[in-house]
Formats: sequence, C-alpha cells, structure tokens
Amino acid sequence: MKRLITLFAALCASVVMFAQDPTGGITGKVVNRQGRTPVEGAQVTVLKASVALDAVESASDGSFLFEGLEDGSYQLRVNAEGFLQQDIFVKVEKGFVRDIMFVTMTAVTTLDTTLDDSSFAEQDLLDTGYSDSPTILFDANDPFTNVVGYGFSSIRYKNRGYNSETQQVYLAGVPMNDALTGYSPYSLWSGLNEAMRSKDTSNGLAGMDVAPGSFNGVTNIHAVPSSVRPGWRFSILSNSAMYRLRLMANYASGVLDNGWSYAVNVSSRLGGNDWVKGVYYKTLSVYAGAEKSFDDYDKLALAVFAAPTERGSQNASTQEVYDLMGDNMYNSNWGYQNGKVRNSRVKRSFEPVFLAKYDLTPSEDFALSASLIFRTGRNGSTALDWYDAADPRPDYYRSLPSYAFMEDSDYNRQNEAKAAWATFCWTERGEEFNKYQHLDWDRLYNVNYMAGGRSKYAVEERHIDQNDLNLAVNAKWNMTNNITLRGGFNGKINRTEYYKVIDDLLGGEYFLNVDSFAERDFAANQGKLQNDLDYYLEHGEAEKITEGGKYGYDYLAQVRKANAWTSATARFGALTLNAALSAGVESFWREGLVRKGLFAGLDDNGREIVDPASGKVLTSYDSRGNVITSKGKSAVSTFGTGSAKLSASYDIPGGHRFSASAGYFLDAPKFSQSFISARTRNSLLEGLTNVKTLSTELSYQYFNNGYNIKLTGYYTAINDLSKVMSFYDDSQNSFTNFAMTGINQRHAGIELGAKIPLPVSGLSLSAVAAIGEHIYVGTPHMVQTVDNSSQIVREGDVPYWSSHPVYEVVGTTEDGTPIYNQDVDGNFVETGRVKHYVPSSPQLATELALNYNVNYWFFEVNAQYFDRSYLDMNPLYRTDFACAGGDGIVTPAEVEYMASQEKFAPAFLLNCSIGKSWYIRRQYQIGFSFEAKNLLNNTGVRTGGYEATRLISSYGKDRYYRFDSKYFYMPGANYMLNIYFRF
Amino acid sequence: MKKNIILALSAILAFASCEEFQPVFTGEYDKPQPQEPVVMTPNITIADITSYYTKGKPYTFVENLIIGGQISTTDQPGNFYKSFYIQDETGGMEIKIGRNALYNDYRPGQTIYVNCTDLTIGQYGQKDGQGNGMIQIGFSDPTGEYETSYIEVPVLIDSHVFKGQRSEGDQLPAPVVLSESQLPKSTDTQKTNKNIGRLVTLKDLSYTWVDGYGETQTAFTLLYLNSQQNKKASSNRIFISGTDTHINTWAMSKSLMSETLESGVWDSVNIGNANDYNYGKVGDVKYKGEDGSYPGIERAAASVSHYFKTSAGTCVQIRTSGFSKFCDTEIPADVLNGSKHINVTGILCLYQGKIQMVVNNIDDITYADGTPLK
Repeated sequence: MKRLITLFAALCASVVMFAQDPTGGITGKVVNRQGRTPVEGAQVTVLKASVALDAVESASDGSFLFEGLEDGSYQLRVNAEGFLQQDIFVKVEKGFVRDIMFVTMTAVTTLDTTLDDSSFAEQDLLDTGYSDSPTILFDANDPFTNVVGYGFSSIRYKNRGYNSETQQVYLAGVPMNDALTGYSPYSLWSGLNEAMRSKDTSNGLAGMDVAPGSFNGVTNIHAVPSSVRPGWRFSILSNSAMYRLRLMANYASGVLDNGWSYAVNVSSRLGGNDWVKGVYYKTLSVYAGAEKSFDDYDKLALAVFAAPTERGSQNASTQEVYDLMGDNMYNSNWGYQNGKVRNSRVKRSFEPVFLAKYDLTPSEDFALSASLIFRTGRNGSTALDWYDAADPRPDYYRSLPSYAFMEDSDYNRQNEAKAAWATFCWTERGEEFNKYQHLDWDRLYNVNYMAGGRSKYAVEERHIDQNDLNLAVNAKWNMTNNITLRGGFNGKINRTEYYKVIDDLLGGEYFLNVDSFAERDFAANQGKLQNDLDYYLEHGEAEKITEGGKYGYDYLAQVRKANAWTSATARFGALTLNAALSAGVESFWREGLVRKGLFAGLDDNGREIVDPASGKVLTSYDSRGNVITSKGKSAVSTFGTGSAKLSASYDIPGGHRFSASAGYFLDAPKFSQSFISARTRNSLLEGLTNVKTLSTELSYQYFNNGYNIKLTGYYTAINDLSKVMSFYDDSQNSFTNFAMTGINQRHAGIELGAKIPLPVSGLSLSAVAAIGEHIYVGTPHMVQTVDNSSQIVREGDVPYWSSHPVYEVVGTTEDGTPIYNQDVDGNFVETGRVKHYVPSSPQLATELALNYNVNYWFFEVNAQYFDRSYLDMNPLYRTDFACAGGDGIVTPAEVEYMASQEKFAPAFLLNCSIGKSWYIRRQYQIGFSFEAKNLLNNTGVRTGGYEATRLISSYGKDRYYRFDSKYFYMPGANYMLNIYFRF
Repeated sequence: MKKNIILALSAILAFASCEEFQPVFTGEYDKPQPQEPVVMTPNITIADITSYYTKGKPYTFVENLIIGGQISTTDQPGNFYKSFYIQDETGGMEIKIGRNALYNDYRPGQTIYVNCTDLTIGQYGQKDGQGNGMIQIGFSDPTGEYETSYIEVPVLIDSHVFKGQRSEGDQLPAPVVLSESQLPKSTDTQKTNKNIGRLVTLKDLSYTWVDGYGETQTAFTLLYLNSQQNKKASSNRIFISGTDTHINTWAMSKSLMSETLESGVWDSVNIGNANDYNYGKVGDVKYKGEDGSYPGIERAAASVSHYFKTSAGTCVQIRTSGFSKFCDTEIPADVLNGSKHINVTGILCLYQGKIQMVVNNIDDITYADGTPLK
C-alpha cells in the first residue's frame, strides 16, 4: 500500500516534471533520531514561500523523493505519528536532485504521564537517606527503554543500578544536573509536561548533538517555544497514588508566518492521595516563551518558567510501626492540630528559570546554538526542631513495644507488661489515640505556652537557595555527507546558600540560637553552644530568633565548572563510527557566613578566640594542628574532569544492527559529598579524588516486519565514590557524620526488549527483561566525627562493605547454635563470601505486555516481576568494631548477623490501561486514558529504605545488635485518569 | 460521551476525602487551646501509700489509689533526670516517668495526681547493713535488676499521671528548714520521716566528713572503664575518693572528666573495688583501646558526691549529676578549705542509709549567710 502511494507520488512528481520540465529534486531518508531506524509513512511536504507544492509518504526504508523542482530554496516539512514536526531548508541548484541524506525525527511520548512526579520522591526522601533515580527514558524506537521509562517507575527502577546523578539532563543544550549533588533537577519544571515534552534521549553510552554523553544516558529537553506541539490543549487528571487532581492548559502557536512562535503552559496539582495520609500537593507551574526566526538562518528564543510548589512529604518507618498500624503506607510526618491534618515536613520552592537560546544555521550543514540559563529562587523544606524537649515523633523508638520487650534476652528488654501498654496505644483506633499514633501538635503548642516565651518546639525551614548561571555553546557540522563533527563548550557558576529559618514558633515568641546538642558536653562553656558566636560576643547572649529569622547554620557553596567537548561521527557504508572527547575543570569551596562556637577558628587578627564569660579558649584544632574554622572561605578543591568514548555500529540488510561502545570518565566529587560536616565547618574529607568510571556495552537490534528486538550487555566499573551521611545520634547526643571514601561499584548485566506483532491486526506483545549484577567491590575507608568535637570518633576500613565471609560450620550445639570451624591458629575458616549489592533497585526486572490498538482505542495489560532488590547499607554495621561487640571479639555469628545485607522479597504486579480519543468535526479532539496499577493490590512491595546508624549495645553483653531498618513501600491498587481536549 | 467522562471524574473526586485537601487550603492553622487542669481527689497520702511496700518486695497496685501533690523538682538544669518528685503534707515521692525534659509538660510546683493502679512501688539505694534508700513509684521491672522501672510508654503516663493546677509563676513549694533532730536515720523511710523526698533546706554545713574508719572524705565518684560492660565487675570500676580526688567542681561533665583524666592527676588511682586492686592503675590503661580508637577508660560524665557535715557532725552528701548544666561549676575555695559554711536546699534523699541532698539548681547552694556562692 505504502509502496503504491510512493509510486503514485512519484508518478505525480513525474507528471509535474513532465509539465514543467525542470530536472532538480530532493531526496532523502526519514529516520528516527534514536538508532537511525527508518520511519515509514512519514508525511513529507515540500513548500516554497510557505506554499505547499507537493507531499509524499516515506517508504518502508524511510526514503522519499521529489523531482521536477526548479532551482531555488525549498522548505521540507516532515510529520510522522509519534514524532515532532521537522522543518528543513534545502537549496536545489543547477538542476540536480539534492540528496539530503537523513531527516532525523525526534520521538514524542504519547502517554500523558505523571512521571515527573515520581522523580520528586527523590528530593522528598533525601532527608531520610533514601535515594533513587527517576527513570526518565523515552525512546519510541527502543523496545527496552520504551517500557522501562514509564512502566518501571513505580518500583523506582534505576537504570542499570546506577546512582541517579549519573543520568545527564540537559535543557536547551545546557547541562542542568544539580551543581551540588548531581541530581537531575526535574522539580524545576514539574507539571510543565507539555512545554517540556519535546526532548532527545539516549541510553547508556550514546551521545547526542549537544552532549558527548556519559554512561547512563542523556536527555536534552528542547524547552523552546517552537518545539511545543501547536494548538490548544486542556487536560484534567486524577490519580490516587500521588495527588488527586491536575489541571493543565497549554497553547503553542507553532512557527507563524512572521517567524514568531509562542507557547504557554500552565498547570496546577492539588490534593492528596488514597495511600499516604498527610501527603498533599499545592502547586502551580507556568511556562511562557517566545521565539523569533529572523530568517532561515538564525533564531532567538526566550523563555521563563517556574513551578512554585508546596508539598507535604512522606517518611519511612520501621516494620514494627507499619505492623502495629496495619498499614505499610503509614506516615509519621503529620498529626492533627485542632482536628486538622498538618504535615511537619513540607517542601516549598519557587525557583524560576530564565532561558535564552540563539540558533544559527548559516548552511544546511552547519548549526550552532548558544544558550544562557539562569536559575534562582528559594527552595525550602520544613521539619520540627526542638530544644531540650522530648522527641516529638510518634514513632520514636522508645515509644514502641520493642523498646520494652524483645524475645532475645540479650537486648535486656524484658518488660512484657509495659510492651502490652505500648502495643495497646498503637493498635487501638479512635480519636483519643491519634496523639500517640501521629504528631501531637496540640501538646507542642501547650509546651510552648508554658515555657514563658521561649519556644521549645518550632518548625524550621531548611533552605538550599541556588543561583546557577550557565552558558553552553554547541555546534554541529556535517563536514561531508558521511562525516559529522560536533563540539561545544559549557560553563557553570553556582552560588548556593544553605541556611535555615524559623518558620513557625508554634505559639511561642522566640527560639534561642544555640546548639542544643553541644549543651550537654559543654554546659559550662556558653561560647561553645553558640550557633552565631559573633552575635554572642557582641551582645553577651545568644540571639532570640523570631519567625523568618535565620539560625542554626548559614553557609555558601560555591561551584565553578567549565567543560569543552567534541565528537565525530563517520559513516562508511553500513558502518558508523563515533568518537567523543571532553575535558574540563571543576572547583568548589565552602564559605561560612556565621561563626559557630564549636569551631570558632581565629579572629580577624589571626588570634585565638576566648569566651569572656568562662575565660576558655574556643579555637579548636584538628589532629594535624590546623585550626578548624566555621566562618570564611575553605580551601578550594579543584579537579580535572574528562571523558573519552568510542562507539561503532554496523547495519546488516534485513534490519540487523550491531553496536559496541566503550568510554572512560573522570568526574569530580560532588560538593555535597566532600565536606565532613558542611553545616558546621570548613573541613574537607581527606583522600578526596576523582570518580573514575569505565563503561562498555554491546548490543544487537533487529528491526523488521513489525518486530523490534534489542539485546544489550553492559559492564561498568565505578571507582572512588565518596559518601557523607549526617544524622542525629542520641547515644552521642550529637549530630554524627560518617564519611566514606573509596567506594567501588561494578555493574554488569543484560537488557532485553522485544516488541512482537501478533497475527491479529493491532495486537502486539512486548517483553522486557533487565538482569544485572550491581555490586560493591574493594574496601572503603570510613571516618566518623561528631559535630560536638574536632576529634575523630572512629576511623578505619569498612571490611564488610562489599561482602562478608561465610564460615564453615562443623556442627551445632544442643540449642541449635552453630559451631564454627577454626584452623590451628584459632582463626575461623571461611568457605566463601556473600556479595553486597548496590541498593534500592531491582536487579531483576521483567515485564510482559499485551497491547491492542484499534479505531482510536488502546488497551494494554501487563505483568511485571521484580526481584533482587537490596536495602541501602550503613557503613557502621560493616566494621570490625560493630561485629566485635562489647567484648571486642569478632565471631562468625556476629559477622553474619551484623554485616549481611537485607534482600527484599520479589514483587509481582499486574497493571492495565485503556484509552480512546474522538475527533469532533475533524477539528476538536477529546479523549481519555485510564490506568489501573497494581491490580492485585500488593501492599507489601518495598521500594527502598535505609538502615539505622546506631547499635544496641546492651549492658554487659558480648555482642551488639542493630536498630530496626526503615522502609518505603509502593502503594497498593491505584488509578490514573486523564481526560484531554485539544484543538 | 463527554458527560459520561465528567460523571466518572466527579465520582472519583467524590471518593477523595476532605481530609486530604485540608493542608491544601489551610494556610494558617488555628492555635490549639491551652490544656485545662485536671481536678481529682486523692484517696491516700504519700506516707500511707508507702505502707504497700515491704523491704525487697516491690508491689504492683491493683487498688484504685490516687495520690496527689506538688512537683518539687525540675529536670531543666539536668540534676534530675527522667523523673520528678511530688510532695504532700506527709512526704515526698519520686515518680519515675522515664521521658526527657519533663519540666516542659510538668511544671515546677504544679499539682499532680497519680492513679497508682497498675503501677509499682519499690525502693532504690537500699543496702543491708547500711540502710535504706528511697521508695519510688514506677512500673514493674521483671528483670529484678531494680525494683521499679520507668513508666515510659506515653499512653501509660497519660492514663496514670494527671496534671492539675499550676502554681503561681511555676514556683516550687517552699522548702522546710530542717533542724538536726528532723534529719532521717539510716533506717527511716517516707513512712517514718515525712521529710524524706521533700524539698528541704539544711543550714550551716561544712566541707569534709570523717568516716567510721577515721578517714577524711571530700568527694567521691565512680568511673567505669566501659559502661557497656558489667558495671559491678571490679575490673571495670575506678573509685576516686578520699582527700586527693582533684575534684573541685560539683560534678564533672564529659569534657572536664576527660581533661582531668588526661592531666594525669588520677594516674596512681587503683582500678577495682577496695578489696580487689588487681587490675593496674588508671595511668596504665587510660590511653589503651581495644580497637585503637577508643581510649582504655571511657570518657563519660561523672556524677560526684561531696561530703559535708552538719554542725552536729551528721554526714550530708551533696550529690550532683555529671549531666547537669552546672556540673562543672567550681566549689569556692573558702568552702573547700572549710573557712565558709553553706546552706543547701534540695530533695532530701537516703542512699544506703546516708543523707544525700540533690539540688534543683546551683543557686540552691548558698553561703551560710544566704549570699550566693562566690
């Protein structure tokens, strides 16, 4: 049929040719940007001075031909279902048929997803140690990523097990990953689905026009008005797992005759969901942009967008709490205030982004763009703070039955009667038990009322306010028909202020700016307690902070980055080769804006600081005799960065393609993982070094007769990661900081994606499998410090981080306790080692889906199976110290208990979706999509969590025990309904 | 068709609870009302309830007994920890609540009612041959390590400990000045001496006391090499006592204890109980650690007893916690050298038959003429 059309088109063209007798023409191939596979049936229109002359459909190999064109400039407009419209300017000269080789099409996603919101969860959960990666991968042509990108998001699948910061996100050609953490900043444009829909993505080691690429894919969101789908679009969406309601409106003009394009996108997300109480959204997202195409050669786009957001967040609890509440989605962040639900942890952000992009296309073979992006605003998250008062969290471990009674007498918790009372207050339901099961706001106010002005409890808001200026210049030159060169430069200046303010005094009048954790150790040394020592020295007392006032800590993170890159692609028949290189430099430092009493440093004249009240010297020194300072500029850390990459692909007629890639990457450590305790001092981690990554992949793809099968194997070695964890340790009564360096990871695995047409028209089967082994190797080093002291509390290797030994058992005692074999020297005999895995993403992920498309209806049913997901580990439990216990002797039983890593139970999920659209008078389109997820209502699927970071060292016992881990669960059965209207 | 879709959507939105939209549309939350004081009528006095206790036999109440009294302590300065004392006309009683920073919820001087049903009465600090300790109310302790445990569980506290009227300005009850004859004997309890467990003032105390062996005692503290190991093992204990303790503060914070240990003034002190000095001296082990990172003697806050005597020669210890905010306050030299006498206001306690005064705050200790120390 298609062939007939082409034939007919060619016939028409030949008629035209016959009539006018010109000999010129245009020929080419329409291909998908991803993988350069042919796009069949694309509508190709040739225009001259905006008047359509002719139109054809591309053939099965993507080719098209216009003949009989006079010399002159033409415009080709290419449209294809599932792709963005593409306009190309072509000159026909001297009566030749111009071969423009390829028209590359960018796929758009067809499902209107709420995916951007799952990526939120990442920001959401940072505070609690949770980290995951948004799986934003769309590639209509890749049968693997096409499924994984959306279908695996609810399980928080991480692509190849990589940390989320390895996924590169560009906006209008500018690298946008967070300067401090590396995270993808999706929250900046959440809710702007329409404006940000048009994007290029690549998976694994592949690069693209604006980026040499890394090893975990690149996404470049176009974000300019001309890339937004033209027309009016309205939608209303309701879902039961995230927020109840989303309203969205979008208008884009497309490229008007006068060269202007406009686009506006507005949306709002409101309400809570069926599964997690206290979670709510109150957001507005706005995008507005204008773009002017001055002539065929250059255009300028200006856009501004912002997504002011307020969101109540979720917290992880221990399984004991979930079981007591009978609800794995229990959220300890909220409670009733005067009978109304109030969440203590609310994210509030307003971070506008200003974008200017200039495109220059002096010839069809050369394109240059320059983009300037400025991000500013504020980003806060609230939490309860308290001074010398009981921990207000309802699930505080001392309020739980397990604190009164544990079966194992080693815990020294033997009070069953008390445990019964604790169980009673968690398992009874009714208004009078709310204050035990949720935050008791009324009590917090009452404590403050009685405290005589000084709030003992308050809500703080922690700010991370970024100013981020970026410039990127990218160029592409089709040197010959077969050789394309790309290159560019980008630079970033980031100045971020970390501080906190008092958000709500909860009925009190002020909060005192002292470090309550320091008070216990330095009660008689007022100077040491001061969060702002300079204020204290001047006024003789700590500052009384009122609502909106800064307190606690206040420092700047300064980051500078510059990077230049180039890549070359050469085609030799069926063989395509690509090489890419980049080199850059990255610097960062900390600049303390207040002087903290614990780390006073030297005064402006270089002298030690003395507390006039106690006469004690406040200046403290590290183990090398260097002054530890909190105020002023830290040492500047500078790292060279770079990458080198080679890839090749080979096409065999019949739709076969083989490709291979390898790359080496040198990345700088992130600011957020480089300071011992950035909140309190300028001290950098020792042994900070570049992260070094070697990654390789091999793939085979078959794309023919409706079949699309892709098989990929990968192997990646990541070395010298560092990690800093800070948390309040009530056994030390202090914030304690774990800093780990020398973390090495190995990621190996295979990915299979297959789309198989079935004999019934419109019916197809797709299957996806990702089988990986993502493990730790080597022995990292750990340093533990506390905020109260310049001393190192604990330092050493973490021998059981990557694996722990299995010991030979030679028998058991009467009570079943194993007896371990020992050699002649008394050492326990190891028979092997148990590997430890990179956590929080299933290393086995599969899906089987049946799709049916007919008459503007679509149906899908899919079954998913996930396994081999592991809990994030804390380094403390992997030290000899923890495995030795109170008696200082490491035994096999202790190692196997303390160092082993928890594996989550496998999960089976069933989902389905249905959709339909109608055209009304060929002008309006109305439609809906409905998705029902987790139909089996499986509420026991853990998506992540973290281990506690302290030990139960019960008095007089030989071994230590772990505190309970905390978990996040996936919601049970949930729906999403989207209704849209377009014209 | 459009109608059906809208119908379906409104049906779904109707399922959404109003509660989930509360935070969305609530910018400001109304401030909760102050809690109303509870009024109850006690049906037994503190002195009488101690009758339920016999030595060595903690008793868990099944009777519906309510005691009431005013809070006479505050844990704000940290010298009391996780519990408070209440007192009525007949005596004082420690209520072992088991939460931190109790003064935030239970104000000084506030009237408290304790419904004792399900709670346990027991004694702490009694030693045969030496004398009594203090009778307390808490929860049962099935391990037998102590006679009572902390009440601790929030619902258990709220259903047994009720908050009545606050006192004007959160004033503690006025202390009673005791004369020599009113002081308890080692065999007394709250049943036999109503001043035990109450806020009292003792006047004209002078430093040091000569014990039964004729040895002069100044200060006393007990350190552990490792508090996670058996605290009763001789090998884990260091007694600092006698006249050469180098302790001239009311107690020692962790940092002061650490400084003092490292200064070497305790290096020649023996490790072990008085009859079992087989574990070397402090100086031998203070830096050695099992894993090289922790020194051989745990750095920890140290509670200290300072020995005073009344004008009649009765021993009165002033016992101060190493976690109190005033622990590192130095005792004036003129008090240490005996040239000045002091008055002290605090809870009158017995520990192994000896009088221990536990003060609420440092200004509860004054010179004998009533002027503040130093």
